[in-house]
Amino acid sequence: MICWSCQKAAGEDVFCVGCGAVQPPDGTADYFQVLGVVRSFAIDPVALERRYKELTKMLHPDRFARSDARARRASLERSVQLNEAWRCLKDPIRRAEYLLSLHGVDVGDRGGAGNQDKSGEHATLPVPQVLLMEVLELREALAAAHAARDVHETEALIAKVRGRLNTVMDDVARGFASPQPVLGTIAARLVTVRYYRRFLDEARLLWEQDGAPPAGDLGHAG
Amino acid sequence: MPVEALFTISEPGQARTKEICKGRAVGIDLGTTNSLVAVVQAGQPRCLAADGSALLSSVVHYAADGGIVVGAKARELAATSPQDTIASVKRFMGRGPSDAEATRRLTTYRFAPGEAVDPMVRFAVAGGTRAVTPMEVSAEILRVLKVRAEAELGGELDGVVITVPAYFDDGQRQATRDAGRLAGLEVMRLLNEPTAAALAYGLDKQVQGTFAVFDLGGGTFDISILKLEGGVFEVKSTGGDSALGGDDFDRAVAGHLLRVMGLPEDAGRNAGLARAVLNAAREAKEALTVATESSVTVAMPEGEPWQGSLSRSDLDELVHPVLDRCAPPVRRAMRDAGIETAQLSGVILVGGATRMPLVRSFVAKLFGQEPLADIDPDEVVALGAAIQADLLASGGRSDVVLMDVVPLSLGLEMMGGVSEKLIHRNTTVPCGAVQTFTTYADNQTGFDLHVVQGEREMVADCRSLARFNLGGIPPMTAGMARLKVTFTVDADGILSVSAREEYTGKEASIRVKPSYGLTDDEVERMIRDSFDHADDDMGARLLTVERVEADRILGATRAALSASPSLLVAGEGEAIEAAMASLELAKSATNHLAIRAAIQSLDEVSKEFARRRMNAALDDNMRGQSLDTVEKKVTAK
Repeated sequence: MICWSCQKAAGEDVFCVGCGAVQPPDGTADYFQVLGVVRSFAIDPVALERRYKELTKMLHPDRFARSDARARRASLERSVQLNEAWRCLKDPIRRAEYLLSLHGVDVGDRGGAGNQDKSGEHATLPVPQVLLMEVLELREALAAAHAARDVHETEALIAKVRGRLNTVMDDVARGFASPQPVLGTIAARLVTVRYYRRFLDEARLLWEQDGAPPAGDLGHAG
Repeated sequence: MPVEALFTISEPGQARTKEICKGRAVGIDLGTTNSLVAVVQAGQPRCLAADGSALLSSVVHYAADGGIVVGAKARELAATSPQDTIASVKRFMGRGPSDAEATRRLTTYRFAPGEAVDPMVRFAVAGGTRAVTPMEVSAEILRVLKVRAEAELGGELDGVVITVPAYFDDGQRQATRDAGRLAGLEVMRLLNEPTAAALAYGLDKQVQGTFAVFDLGGGTFDISILKLEGGVFEVKSTGGDSALGGDDFDRAVAGHLLRVMGLPEDAGRNAGLARAVLNAAREAKEALTVATESSVTVAMPEGEPWQGSLSRSDLDELVHPVLDRCAPPVRRAMRDAGIETAQLSGVILVGGATRMPLVRSFVAKLFGQEPLADIDPDEVVALGAAIQADLLASGGRSDVVLMDVVPLSLGLEMMGGVSEKLIHRNTTVPCGAVQTFTTYADNQTGFDLHVVQGEREMVADCRSLARFNLGGIPPMTAGMARLKVTFTVDADGILSVSAREEYTGKEASIRVKPSYGLTDDEVERMIRDSFDHADDDMGARLLTVERVEADRILGATRAALSASPSLLVAGEGEAIEAAMASLELAKSATNHLAIRAAIQSLDEVSKEFARRRMNAALDDNMRGQSLDTVEKKVTAK
């Protein structure tokens, strides 16, 4: 790429090798490349966060508040891309979905794990009957707890499903760690995760509504 | 300013960096009740005071004779002419008349009837002879702070950082920016108030950890969860209520007083009485911060003043239901940040209302720890803003960076009035999203899009941000045209949109119709309007402004003439020289309007030349640069 500022070859990095001007982002880079980490499910979250913050300090638009319009634009676009990459990779579920999407397997929600344009090309993954029954029962229990304003029952349900979700995610991690990951198997696990996650979102919302306890109890006490 | 834009862009390669005098970039806390200005000098932030006080009452009085009074004097005038005196204007920023309805009950203003689809509130002031928008009212407050800072710092300000509640939506942020522009300020950044507070604490003390900022001001409640680590201030989540604050305490107490006085509920409609009771309520509330019992005197508009008393336990009882409304947003923000109260390193108090003992004990109970209050809760936001202004003006100190989040989800209206979320609440800014649209009819050349902000599912329950028309799509068979629309939220939390037709590569034209922001024309008109109402002091300031502007344009024109003489056509150089001579002459006189006119004449005769220069510059330097280089993927929650 040619540097917009010095008109010479800018190199591959964020800043031009010649003049140091910030360069617009490469639209084809994946999130792992954006953050400069190895493409893998197993990521050290502390190192990832450190890397993200280092890059943010270099690229944030506030650093270019007084710079040329093109530098401001490049820093804005870089930051947008960086924040997006971070948002995806810091969350193990999103990271797993994203890794699969890079291999053409889409398990996300509508517009989910990643590439919307490709979503039409893949058959929807089958949802096992057992999973549907399980979630149905959980939902009924949640509805009953909500109707009875039973905050403790809601909390118990949340804890139960969170435990199940963690077990499945351990499975996902093992799947990625295997020398020859079977993407289909991992994708099936992630479908389960998606159902659990939706359930948890809903349960937390109801817990918030029911659990509006008197001041002093944020629900995390003890 | 068209002249400046044309000439500036025609100097390719040269950074547009303005020379910054250290110490002339200030931070402004534009508050509901009080406003402050602060500056960093010798590494220390401090608030600038006038008449012994750093606080400027955010009250503006418009006299029938055209005079404008701001501050404590205006607050005094509120009792006698409540309709011409605007207080708590922040509540109306970026709000439409229908939004204001809810706050109208105990407020006393006349709302001017707007034009057919006027999206803005307008107050009828100056005895009903003038209609002003909330932005204009805020600009009056900003002007006073600007003058105060310029007097103290001995020169024109180079740039300001203005704080806004983290909960402010795009429309309210636009309105705040517009107010800054109206006041003639260069707004370098809008900064969230809780972030500013943390900045004041974090930098002073080098704190690390996760903090909650509990900000209860006059008119807004904000709760933010921030992580401070290695110079990075990361807002993890934010929430609150943009219509909850100390004013509501006053209202609750005032309602109580009206009952005790034996007056009917709708006595509050009497503007003078409402104001007198609210004043008495506020005084009693403030007195009860220290005392446990306070006398209450209501200066009745007619007749003898009313005498009574209020105890702290009375106050606590009246205020508690209002205060309880703070708990759900706190709970939600904690959940969004994914942390529990035990993990918090501290709770920072901001806002005058947090002085109340009841509020402090409420916060201590809510978070299970005593809150921090080392820095004056009235000043802490302005001090933080000054620190940020100093950082921005010194350009590129890389050891501190502030990362804010989108306060409310951004969505697009879909079929059936459903809002489809593009960018979710609490996503770190800057951020963006891409949405691809296809045409549904043959030869369709445009789309109407409606962007809304809010968490609700139905568009009708969200706030309308803007309506866009994406036009200029080449005629094609239905479904062939693929329009890729990129939404970008910048570091200030303000949205911009660009679009591109993928098949032809054509950039689609976008017409932005902000629902609440101001168009450039409106800003110009308002600036003119405010000029018409200017006093002598204002005239002097205008003259300075125009002279500075004249110098800048003369300099730029001279530079352009000597840089590109070959781009001049026959006779053009002479015409430009003549216009420059007229401007020099006007500049030496004292009529700012004459200078403006001479600037415009110079602009007129040099326009074509500037355009040729710009084109040449664009050809040389911008060839091959695509506006749309970022590929984005929408990541769902």
